[in-house]
Amino acid sequence: MTGLSKVEISYIRSSLLSDPPLRADGRAPEDFRPIAVETGVAPLANGSARVSIGQPRAGRGHEAEGAGGGTEVVAAVKLEVDGVGDDEEGGKVICSVSCSPAAYPHLSSPALDDLQSDLTSLLGSVLSHPSLCPQNLVIVPGQKAWALRLDTIVFADAGNVVDCLMLACRAALVDTRVPSTRSVEYRAPGRQSGTLNEVPDDLMDVDQSRNGPSSMLETRDPSSAVDFELADYWDEGKVLESRDSWPVCVTLNMLPTIHFLDATSQEETAVPLRLHTMFSFPGGKPTSHGMRMAGAGTSDMTQIGLLLKHAEKYARNMWIGLEAKLAEEEARRSVKAREKFYGGRRR
Amino acid sequence: MADITIQKRPHNEAVVTHRKFFKKTARGKVIKIIRERYLRDDIYCGIVGCRLCADGTTAVLPTSGDMTHRDFPYGHYILPDTNIFLTQMDLFESNEFMFPIILLQTVMEEVRHRSLPLYNRLKALVKSEDKQVWVFYNEFRRETTVIREEDETPNDRNDRSIREGAKWYNTHLHLVRSPIRGQKPPQVVLLTEDAGNREKALSANIPCMSARKYIERTQKPAPLLDLLAAAVSEEIEPTKATGARAVLYAEHLPTTALLAGVNAGQLHQGHFNANSYNYLEGTVLVPTFTKPVLLVGRENMNRAVHGDVVAVEVFPKSEWKSPGDEVVDAESMLKNDDVESGDENDENDTNDTLLQARESRAVRESAQAPTEKQPTGRVVGIVKRNWRAYVCHIDASSLTSTSTSSLSLQTIFASPISRLLPRIRIRTRQAPSLVGQKILVTPDRWDRTSRYPDGHFVRALGKVESKEAEQESLLLEFDVPYRPFGKAILDCLPVEGDAWVVPPKNDGDPVWKDREDLRDLVVCSIDPPGCQDIDDALHARRLQNGNIEAGVHIADVSHFVYPDTPMDAEAASRGTTVYLADKRVDMLPSLLGTNLCSLRAGIERLAFSVIWELTEDANIVNVRFTKSVISSKAAFEYSEAQMRLDDSTLTDPLTVSIRLLNSLAKKLKAKRMAAGALDLASPEVRINLASPESSDPLVAPSSLPGASTLSGSKDERKGETIGVMQKALLATNSLVEEFMLLANISVAMRINETFPQTAVLRRHVAPPKTNFDNLQDMLMKRKGLTLDVSDSGALAASLDKCVDPQTPAFNTLVRIMATRCMTSAEYFCAGSVSRDTFRHYGLATPIYTHFTSPIRRYADVLAHRQLAATIAHTPLHPSLHSKAHVERIMDVLNRRHRMAQMAGRASVEFYVGLALRERGEGLAKAGNIGGVVEEAFVIRTFRNGLGVFVFELGLEGLVMFKQDVQFDAENYTVTLPSPTAGGEVTVALFDKVKVRIGVEKDKNTQRGRVKMTLVSPVDSSGL
Repeated sequence: MTGLSKVEISYIRSSLLSDPPLRADGRAPEDFRPIAVETGVAPLANGSARVSIGQPRAGRGHEAEGAGGGTEVVAAVKLEVDGVGDDEEGGKVICSVSCSPAAYPHLSSPALDDLQSDLTSLLGSVLSHPSLCPQNLVIVPGQKAWALRLDTIVFADAGNVVDCLMLACRAALVDTRVPSTRSVEYRAPGRQSGTLNEVPDDLMDVDQSRNGPSSMLETRDPSSAVDFELADYWDEGKVLESRDSWPVCVTLNMLPTIHFLDATSQEETAVPLRLHTMFSFPGGKPTSHGMRMAGAGTSDMTQIGLLLKHAEKYARNMWIGLEAKLAEEEARRSVKAREKFYGGRRR
Repeated sequence: MADITIQKRPHNEAVVTHRKFFKKTARGKVIKIIRERYLRDDIYCGIVGCRLCADGTTAVLPTSGDMTHRDFPYGHYILPDTNIFLTQMDLFESNEFMFPIILLQTVMEEVRHRSLPLYNRLKALVKSEDKQVWVFYNEFRRETTVIREEDETPNDRNDRSIREGAKWYNTHLHLVRSPIRGQKPPQVVLLTEDAGNREKALSANIPCMSARKYIERTQKPAPLLDLLAAAVSEEIEPTKATGARAVLYAEHLPTTALLAGVNAGQLHQGHFNANSYNYLEGTVLVPTFTKPVLLVGRENMNRAVHGDVVAVEVFPKSEWKSPGDEVVDAESMLKNDDVESGDENDENDTNDTLLQARESRAVRESAQAPTEKQPTGRVVGIVKRNWRAYVCHIDASSLTSTSTSSLSLQTIFASPISRLLPRIRIRTRQAPSLVGQKILVTPDRWDRTSRYPDGHFVRALGKVESKEAEQESLLLEFDVPYRPFGKAILDCLPVEGDAWVVPPKNDGDPVWKDREDLRDLVVCSIDPPGCQDIDDALHARRLQNGNIEAGVHIADVSHFVYPDTPMDAEAASRGTTVYLADKRVDMLPSLLGTNLCSLRAGIERLAFSVIWELTEDANIVNVRFTKSVISSKAAFEYSEAQMRLDDSTLTDPLTVSIRLLNSLAKKLKAKRMAAGALDLASPEVRINLASPESSDPLVAPSSLPGASTLSGSKDERKGETIGVMQKALLATNSLVEEFMLLANISVAMRINETFPQTAVLRRHVAPPKTNFDNLQDMLMKRKGLTLDVSDSGALAASLDKCVDPQTPAFNTLVRIMATRCMTSAEYFCAGSVSRDTFRHYGLATPIYTHFTSPIRRYADVLAHRQLAATIAHTPLHPSLHSKAHVERIMDVLNRRHRMAQMAGRASVEFYVGLALRERGEGLAKAGNIGGVVEEAFVIRTFRNGLGVFVFELGLEGLVMFKQDVQFDAENYTVTLPSPTAGGEVTVALFDKVKVRIGVEKDKNTQRGRVKMTLVSPVDSSGL
């Protein structure tokens, strides 16, 4: 999006079209710049992650940093107690994207607002869809539910911001823990005159209806629970239920005859036509969550079909990589940190 | 350069350095809270002379621990688990328990989380000088901090943390004192009631035992074993087959379910009030209903104890009942109840069934009563137990006869003094020595299988009826703080002590700053006889323009008691001086109360003056407030002032001043009455004691006009003379009262004007009309009188009409009963209630406060400070600008005020009882077997008894009939068989009867109680 001269644009395009395709940083068309993921960056949030593309991994020092740096996004999830309306299931995901003015020094403030709302609606259309809403956001059926606020901030944009945003969102959502609650109700026990029986156990209804997916089919009275309490005030809680379905995004930048991934800012300016594709792989099965074509230009239908096949392959690689990294992050923050601490003490 | 180490941990060690938890706010939001933790190596062990913790100069633990325990010959310290503090606080507070204690931070925090009152007691324990308690901040020491494992419950984590602490201490002691010549280092013993935790500790080689085991192996276990809470005994005793026990009560619902029910409107929450006439009945006042919810029978009261906050479920309207009309006395009903009942004893079964039959009859009969029904329900759960230590007597009959002298462990009943409480079962080894003593007992729990709560013995107060034990038990029972003032408080007094005088007048002197010199005014004080804390004085003089200047001068307490000092805090928490018949528990140290602030005659004193210019008709032309210096010319008693008033030959300035005041007071009173002020009555009885405390021994109180004496008999043994008399009212009483009211009203208006948010005011809420329903019905049916309760003026007028020409006292009786229908006056913060509820109903004034007795009431001190700020004398302390702060103080003051009144009344009652007994003995010696006979009014009728009120003694009592009599609840009459007058006599409400009053001591509990029997119209002793 940076201003480039016609010559520069033509230079970038012709290099990409040459055989083998040439890119300024020496990558192959389907190569990503290095991606760094860190979770738990915002201690007060219920889940958070920082993702950067193209920046050197943390710890390797600053001297390796390229001139342009990379794209950097932080996503954080905050759960808020919310009332549930009459016809609602309960639970919702609200996305918002804000862009740091430092990331877009050349944009005027209204233009920045446009960009923010554009990215917000893109994220919202994918992540806020009811089919993705996790079941365990319901606290008390029909009464209270968690409103999941997913806030992302773009700190730096060196191209491919959408992929970076989606990665950060998925990482933050996977990192999210829902505080465990117990719903409480009072149901008048039958009074047997004269006898003093044990109060029936179901007097205090402890979330029986929500232990399985059967809650949709429950035919008995919707639980009369009216309030809830925190089950264990120390526990971070449980993971979101639809953890496997939060998608990743792969953006294909299309230059007739070829496509390439992870465009830098210059490449984005030179090649405006691109296709954002969102995939998830719950249980290994590819599921598409959305597609959006952006930029000026047209594309052949047959080519789109082909591109989608490629996109699925790239997304799967990215998915597997992210999964591994997230598991590693989780271990780093709990087990390993403990071991390290106790180890240090023993010494 | 000093070494700087950064203790803050890097961000990526969050798991170690952060403690995260969630909190649900009152509004239902959930917030995440993170506490950062800084780990360090310089947290000291607290043992005196420890090599490794050299800087621990404040160490309190003895070097070699405690050597007296039989299991730890090399010395030991104890490290109690949280559950020990939660259940056994009384043990630690006992003077017998002197072992060095290591208190872990984890334990402290857990106690705070579980129970705030216990946490406060724990903090007091840590601070107390005679205990050796060391708080070890284990969570901050690098070696002892513990990180929560995956899927570990907070409880398990804390247990592990406590074990880790104990382990560290034992290793630490080994390091410090490596075993030399077989001399092992002292041990740190983990005390816990949790068997699982003990097991884990033992496997980690940490010495560990339960509290009971530990105490049993101390050198003098007996007194300490009694202090163990009942909860523990269960675990140690061979378990009696719990399954076989009959379940007597329904399960309580968990608190969360209760709150949910209350929020949903299905349950109602309120304080449980036991019925003092019928132990099988209680009420709960809930916001939803105007009438309290009635709970009938044990099962429906479901283990609620007077004062608990309970949740009740209200039955459908068809099941509503009306309160019982029978006196059901727990003592006579349950006399044969066995202590072990609820345990496995078979022979109790017959007893139980019998009892059940009787109880159910009592309950059923009350249900049939025709009077109006009220909401009825049952207790489904306890929101909050308000248990505390209760003053009790031991029930001697519950002692096993074989062991009256042995020191074996036995279960006995303790009967609380308050009739509102059930008996408490305690286990003790010192039962025989406790008989005839007043003791403190704390209930611990009340099982579903048990008819009585289980508790434990705390300490003995002394012999029943010894003055000290009675006094202390009263103070404890009404929660009156009575400890002597501490050093920090006494340090706030002027350094000159009683040599303090008003400095000579000098504009530069801070004392004289903005202070008027009123030393020349003819000021005098008028007080009850023997008054030592004179806080008000008066003057009046004619002005040149024909108007009258009247002044009220109040002791300037706020000059001595500054905000935010220990003395101020203590006064705020005491709230008021408590007057018992034989003792005064001061709010302020007596140097202030009875000396520096007391406006004694002939001495210059600082005062806060309210000075009015009044017209001849007592209309206020002008009022001003000023700090001043006065010199009282005389300190009169009411009777002395009255004599001056009546003696028309006297024309000295003092007498003239009093006459002027009196004429104004009469007009003020007339105005007040016209505005609808109530002339209320409460039984007021004065006790005269010829004890060293009161300066003038009143052997025969006949010197006071209008006082009727009951007894002047001398008790040789105690060297005390007790007399009971009714308080006499003189014109001078009214004089002082009127001017105090005027001063309070003027001050109230002024401070409310300046501080509309935080002014300290007093109000009396108009009682709901339904409160008078019963009294109106009684008056209508029995006397054909109507009571108009539409407003205070109408009530005052209709009360004036309630007269019975034959019995002049009837009017006073009705006034007393009407007073009981009203709500009590309360302090409040001007900003916290709406303006139209400021009214003082009884005094019929739109606004009121307390200003005139700062020596004995804290509210007055606050009013003084606020008034001083209004006249720009001293700036107001910031705390008095905070509404929340003032509200908090008002809550305390209201409660203290109520308690003080109750304590005072109870103390008078005690002496009335004592006087009665003496007089009865005196009569018996003189050959009169009849005993004390007094006139009384019938104030309540029951199916099996009469409630009577004895005017002369201000005493309420109960006449019980053993057999059933004809009872007409509709017309409030009881028909008794009479041998003489045609076979039957009908006694009705408001009838004047004669009763014989005796004090009967319960053989078992030594609890004295007043017993009344009817003498005329019919002798009821055979009934």
